[in-house]
Amino acid sequence: MVSLMIPLATPRLDSDLIAESRARPEAFAALFDRYASMLYRYVSRRLGPEVAEDLVGETFLVAFRRRDRYDLARPDARPWLFGIVSKLVSRHHRDEAARYRALTRSPFDDVAESPAERVEDGVSATAVRPLLAAALARLSKGDRDVLLLIAWADLSYDEVAQSLGIPVGTVRSRLNRARRKVRESLGHTNPLRDEE
Amino acid sequence: MDDLTMLRDLGRGLDRTLEHEPPAGLARQRRRLLDEAAGGRRRRLTPFTGGRRAGWIALAAVAVVTAALVVVPTVLLRGTTGAHTVAPPAGDRPPKKGEALTVLLLGSDRRPTSARVGDLGERSDLMVLLRLSADRKRATAVSLPRDSMVRIPQCRSADGRTVAAHEDMINQAYAIGGLTCAWKTVESTTGMRVDHAVAVRYDGLEKLVDALGGVEVTLPQAVNDPKAKLKLPAGRSVLDGRTAVAYARLRFALGDGSDIARVKRNQALIQALLKKVSRLDDPAALAALVRVAATSLTADAGLDLDTMLALVGDVQRAGTRVTFTMVPWRPYAKDPNRVEWRQPDAARLFDRLAAL
Repeated sequence: MVSLMIPLATPRLDSDLIAESRARPEAFAALFDRYASMLYRYVSRRLGPEVAEDLVGETFLVAFRRRDRYDLARPDARPWLFGIVSKLVSRHHRDEAARYRALTRSPFDDVAESPAERVEDGVSATAVRPLLAAALARLSKGDRDVLLLIAWADLSYDEVAQSLGIPVGTVRSRLNRARRKVRESLGHTNPLRDEE
Repeated sequence: MDDLTMLRDLGRGLDRTLEHEPPAGLARQRRRLLDEAAGGRRRRLTPFTGGRRAGWIALAAVAVVTAALVVVPTVLLRGTTGAHTVAPPAGDRPPKKGEALTVLLLGSDRRPTSARVGDLGERSDLMVLLRLSADRKRATAVSLPRDSMVRIPQCRSADGRTVAAHEDMINQAYAIGGLTCAWKTVESTTGMRVDHAVAVRYDGLEKLVDALGGVEVTLPQAVNDPKAKLKLPAGRSVLDGRTAVAYARLRFALGDGSDIARVKRNQALIQALLKKVSRLDDPAALAALVRVAATSLTADAGLDLDTMLALVGDVQRAGTRVTFTMVPWRPYAKDPNRVEWRQPDAARLFDRLAAL
């Protein structure tokens, strides 16, 4: 039988990469290339760039060591990786709160921002940033994880549930609570807008 | 402004305080990972390794693909009165080029509750586009996830109504206008000329598997889904018809609610079926298979017996090799529980297929 393989340049699923890495460990680097920047950005926002670099490295080491336990029925590895990240971030719980508090005092390097960017962002947004940071500092660990996985990691409710190993209902209730607190701190409380 | 929007904006504001990506430090972290990987090489591999390659080798018999997917229906079409045929789509179609062949394969699902006139009561649960090269040496089977959001062109429904073009999940095409509408949709979204189309119903598949005496699958992990009444150990199992179909249709508690993992199980099941059929050399068993399948297959009228037998002969002589793949996709922007084809990768894939 002729054995011709068609070299289709189809991008591969994360689960395929992980499966391959079980035989060929170095294949795991492809997962790093895919997601390291994304995770780095997420962790930098929460803990600052100094911690982020190391934490992302650690995330991939943990993921690599657990690759045999990855559920290959899940094509997208992001929830899994963000789950590991969340655990590692939680060790820096105090630093994170301190970081947000610091941001309420000396906020952001917006000086270099171009006028176009400022329009894009919305002028009012800049003004509320210290308030938002203060609200984040006050959230419980669990609520903050859910809120930021949704807002900053762009995960869906189901993916957040998977990441944190909690039911989707819990994701919803934590998110509602977190958002209510954020809105309260902005002074925008409107009971009619609360989902629950 | 919405509080989530403001939070996202805060995030972007924070990004601006960071160095440009990718930070140089990440390269260091990548080396750390590779060092670990190099150390781990000596470790024993898990049994599920080498999946892709081994999978492809298992597929080596494509004669089988044609035999199972194509011959069986054809024999039926000729030999029975119960067989259904459909017409190819009317109107503008991608041009036919050369001798390569494209076949659309549908696995469908009958909704027991639906009795409305004009509703076929069936959805296409599985869609595979099979491309066979002109020399018949290569074949590629591209799965199209059923929850892919695509533009469904104008179709005629079973009761003669005209349904205007609109955006929907690809499996709706079959529900709207049967195999012909699914065919038209696949042609218009892929830009590929589809020569033949075959639809198989799941209940038929169940009988088919039983007629074959079950199929063998290897599971990477145990399955226990009380809802689907399915409990299987990890490793090798022989599935009877009911179990095989339950396995193929299972969605697990899949986090993203999408269709991708199910597509893979369907592919595995097709492989297992093909393997079994390819080893079927008993004429009586084949005849039984044909009888069993007769009521659950639909194909286009152009797929006649002579055409098919000639094709199968070609394929067996050429020793065709088949590759399974999936259309490049990403979560659908408006609804993460759906998927959309990732462009330009998807278009490129179909271009390459068309050039095969």
